[in-house]
Formats: sequence, C-alpha cells, structure tokens
Amino acid sequence: MPVGTPSDLVIAPMLIVLVTAVLTLVLGRRPRARVGVSLVGGAGYVLAVTAIAWYVVLAPDAPGIATYQVADLPAPFGITLVADGLSAFMLTMVAAIGITSLVFSARTLPELDRRSYYFPLFHFLLLGVTGAFLTGDLFNLFVWFEVMLMASYIFVAYYGGAQHTRAAFWYVALNLLASAVFLLGVGGLYATTGTLNMADLARRLAEPAAYGIDPGPVVGLLALLLSVFAIKAGLVPFQFWIPTAYRSAPPQVTAVLAGASKKVGIYAILRLSFTIFAGAQVGVDLAVPGVGTVVAGTSPLAFVGAALFVMAAASILVGGIGAVGRSSLEGILAYSSIGQVGFIAVPVAIAATTTAPELRQLAIVAALVYALNHTLAKGLLFLSVGAVRSATGTSQLADLGGLAGRSPPLAIAFFVGSLALVGIPPLSGFFGKLLVFDAAARAGTMPVLVLLVGGSVLTIAYTTRTWNRSFWGTRTAAVSRATVDPVKIGVLLALTGTILAVGIGFEPVYEFADAAAAAALDVEGYVEAVDPADPDAAGGEQM
Amino acid sequence: MTAFVLALVVGALFALGTFLLLRRDLIRVVWGLAIVGQAANVYLLAMGGLTEGDFETVPILAGHGVDVPATADPLVQALVLTAIVISFGMTAFALVLSYRVYEEHDTLDVSELGDRE
Repeated sequence: MPVGTPSDLVIAPMLIVLVTAVLTLVLGRRPRARVGVSLVGGAGYVLAVTAIAWYVVLAPDAPGIATYQVADLPAPFGITLVADGLSAFMLTMVAAIGITSLVFSARTLPELDRRSYYFPLFHFLLLGVTGAFLTGDLFNLFVWFEVMLMASYIFVAYYGGAQHTRAAFWYVALNLLASAVFLLGVGGLYATTGTLNMADLARRLAEPAAYGIDPGPVVGLLALLLSVFAIKAGLVPFQFWIPTAYRSAPPQVTAVLAGASKKVGIYAILRLSFTIFAGAQVGVDLAVPGVGTVVAGTSPLAFVGAALFVMAAASILVGGIGAVGRSSLEGILAYSSIGQVGFIAVPVAIAATTTAPELRQLAIVAALVYALNHTLAKGLLFLSVGAVRSATGTSQLADLGGLAGRSPPLAIAFFVGSLALVGIPPLSGFFGKLLVFDAAARAGTMPVLVLLVGGSVLTIAYTTRTWNRSFWGTRTAAVSRATVDPVKIGVLLALTGTILAVGIGFEPVYEFADAAAAAALDVEGYVEAVDPADPDAAGGEQM
Repeated sequence: MTAFVLALVVGALFALGTFLLLRRDLIRVVWGLAIVGQAANVYLLAMGGLTEGDFETVPILAGHGVDVPATADPLVQALVLTAIVISFGMTAFALVLSYRVYEEHDTLDVSELGDRE
C-alpha cells in the first residue's frame, strides 16, 4: 500500500501523539525543549486529524471511511484501525480542546510542573482517547480505555494534597472495577460470537444462523458494556466520581477530561449500539412484576434506548440540581457536566428507541452537535476557571466577586461559555439544544420534552448564579489583587471565537455531524470497509 | 469437569474480591480490586472454552507422544496476558496511592478518611 493514502492517515494522529509523548518523557531535564516539542506535537496532531476529516469524510471525492490493518494482518485476525465519519467528528472535537488546553498549559504551568510528568501524561491521555476513537477491535478498545485512564488517574492525584490523593483512590478503585466488568463483557461476547473485531461482530450478529451462534446472551452483555461506558461518560447512577475527580485535577486537564474522555463513553455507546448491535435480532421483553412489560422489541437497541432514557433523565436532574447548590466553580461545572451528558444521552436514547431511519439519524446528529457544544463550552469554562484560580488563588464563590470589572476579557469568555451551555443563538449551543428538542418533539414523547425544558431551566439557574456571584457584585480582596495573564486571555478568546464561529457558520458543522451520524448507522459500509466479504465466508470459520 | 471447577473458581474469586472490597481497611480494598481483576481474567480464559486437541492445533506435541490433551483457546490467553499486565500495573499504583493516603491522613480506615467534599 503506497504511503500517503487515506489508509496511512488513519494511524497518523496516534503515531504523532505517541512520539510526542515519548520525546517529552525523554526531555525531562530540558523544560523549554519539552514545552516546544509538546506544542509542535499538538500542532501535528491537529493537522493529522484535520487531514483525516478532510480526505476521509469531507472532501468531494472522499471515501467516507478508511481502514488501517495494523502490521498488515487482515481483519478479523489483526487489529484494525477505522476512521469513519463518527471517529473523525469525535477526533476533531478532541483536537480542538486538546490543542487549546495544551497552549494554555504550556504558557501557564510553573517551572516545577514543566519538569514533572505533566506533558508526557497529557499526550498519553490524548493517545488513549485517540486510540479509543479509531480502533475497530473490542479488546483493543479496552486497552485504549486503560491508557486513557492511567494518565487521568495521575492527573487526579497530580497536586498531591490530602483530598487529591483521596479522590484519586476512589477514582482508581471505581475504574479498576469497571475494567473487570468490561472484561466480563468482552469475554462473554467472544464466547457468544467467536470474534472481537467490531465489523466481524456486526456481521455475525446480523446473521447468527449462518455462523452457528446463539445471540441470546447479547442483551445482557451489552448491559454490562453499557454500564462501563456510562461510568466513563458520567451518567447517573455512575456519576458519583465526577465531582471529586474534576475538582482535584488541574483545571486545564479537567477541560480535556470533560471535553474528550467523557465523549469516549458517548462514542463507545454510539458505536456499539448502532454499528455493532443494531443488526442483531434478539427478542427483548423486560417485564416488571406488577407493572407488566416495560421494554419490548426485536433488537438490543430497544433495551439500550430504555436504559439510556432513565439514565439521561436522572443525569439531567441530578446534574442540574447539584450544580445549583455548589459552592466552588469547579463543583458547579462538574455537576453541570453530569447534566449536560444527560442532554447528550436523551437523543441517543431516542435514536435507539425509534424505528424510523430519518428520526434515528436526526437524533444522532443532535447528540453529536450537542456533544461538540459541550466540549467547546465546558472546555472554555474550565479553562476560565483555571485562569481565575491562578489569578486569584481561589475558586470558591464566597471569595469571588466583581471579576467582570477586574478583567473584562475573562468575563466575556466566561459569559459566552455560559450562554453556549444555556443555548442562546447564535452560539454553538443554540443548535445543539434546537436539534435535541427537535428530535424529542418528532419522537412525540411529552415527558421527555418536559424534562428537557426543566433541565434547561436548571442550566439557566446555575449559570446565572455563578455569574452573579463571581463576576458581578462587590470586588473581593482576592479579586482586587488579581492580574490575568494575557496569553491565557488570548487562548480563552480564541476558544470563544470558535464557539461563535460554529454557531454562525453552522452549515458545514451540521454536514459533518450528518456524515458522522450516517457513518454510525451504516453497518454494511463499515463491515465492507474493514473486512470485505468473502463469497464463501458464511459458514463460521472458527480460529 | 474442568468447566465446573473453573466456574467454581470464578465464583469464589468474585465473592472473595467483593467481600474484601467492602472492608474498611484500604489495603484490603486494594486486595479486593486485585482479586476481582484476577477473577475477570480466569473468566476470560474460561470463555475461550476447551476443545479436543489434535496435532494440527498443537504442533509441538507431534512426535512427542500419542495423545493430545484438551486445549484452551490461544486467543483468550493473549488477551489475558494483556489484562494481567494492566491489572498488575494498576494494583501497584493503587498500593502506592494507599500509602500516600496513609501519609496524608495517618489512617487507612475508610470510614475515617473524611467526607468526599
């Protein structure tokens, strides 16, 4: 295969970020070179991701999907990397928040941090996220999850204080358990289907008889995997680690944790439910004693939809109500993240429940656009909190006030981020909310609409409270002494500009999201690209 | 018979791991996590199943005897190897963290570690 084809592009972002991580590790004694390499690597990552998005998805003659068979081992035996619209959309999101956070870190970290493992870890975190978005193998997904988690464990413990260590311990304990559950799901699927390659799984589950498999256990196994991904995404009832972990990690890393790591959970739910399990014909019939049948359908998606509805509704309420009562900026934003992931999960649930193809695609587009908005807006807000904290030394609402007068540009950034969360036009958040409401209205589910309106009201309540308490009001002593670094302001304003640009020039973003949703639903295209059908393949060749 | 023993072992390991996870002593919690991880590994091995071996699948035995015992799936062994390495690293990290918790709090009793806030 000649170098320079879309196929080679697929592995490019991973290679770039891996090389950068190793180089920054080696350059430990030379902080200046380390920061330089880190930034160059970050820029290279953005270029590689842009190239994937353009040549694979957006260009007029783009193939729509590209695969890379690692070590030239053919699927389903080797590990396949797959870049399709969905992966490219997610990667673009990660690249945007990744480079912003990196520039922010490069400028603002004290000398001591530049000598520590901050930058190598940052790139390993990106590596894990990128690998998770690109891999086409279920066990490999587990491995990338671990890479991402290991880096994030250390970031949570990074400041090394009593509460950071404690938060890290709970975070590690929870995720070790989740890893064990993930392995249970993976093992069960292998025993059921005899393969772990995602395309091969989709193919076998669609025609179980031809491969001599009984897809019966799939729904239960999917439930196991769904709970693991819900932990990563922070959906209720698996949200409890988020506030402590987000409060403990450095704010610029939390921007990436909320903007990228969380989305890995969402991505995994989308990929597994719609690309792999959508074709499986399994009767789902869940009955609650005394109530009767609550979920019934012929596909595991019926179960995914019902479970996600419940989790999403609870997330919106828990996140919104929790955020209203917090006393620190990070606490508010952490709870807000729980609620916002609920807003992303609602359209995913609608897509899983409905049988109409147009509505299903529209709902996934809504979820993706909302996820993009959440990444940008929450990233901007967490970075603003980082700026506030390093300027004033505090992030407690009680110690803040009058920041708007002290630093108008910082106030603008925070204001726009908050408005984007609420969903005011012409910001990116408006279209996210609009599409989510549109999908819910078309699905014709009144309780969901009521829930969404309630969640939006809660969002307005906590953003207003945060704004009033920290940016308006009388200037406190901590704020009066504060000076905000101009480079940080520059980074914040650049991200603010991005949010505005996404909202104003929404057409291409919508097309990208639409291509991503189409890719998520195009099971045949995915299977064909990864592992072209052999005319006599049916018959179940077991390894 | 092997399958029955494996099922018993997996069940016992999960039970023991869960029991330890619910202890108040942080070190026991780490032990519990390690054991749950190992239980998942044994389960993963069991999921590969046992098949009748022949000289095709176990070429190393060709010329070394007449019968081939039942063999396990090599793929799951490769998976478990990866999972073991990961859980080994994470157990070490969790132990370091628990030592750090002890340094910060002077106790390893979960109920005395204080509020999450």
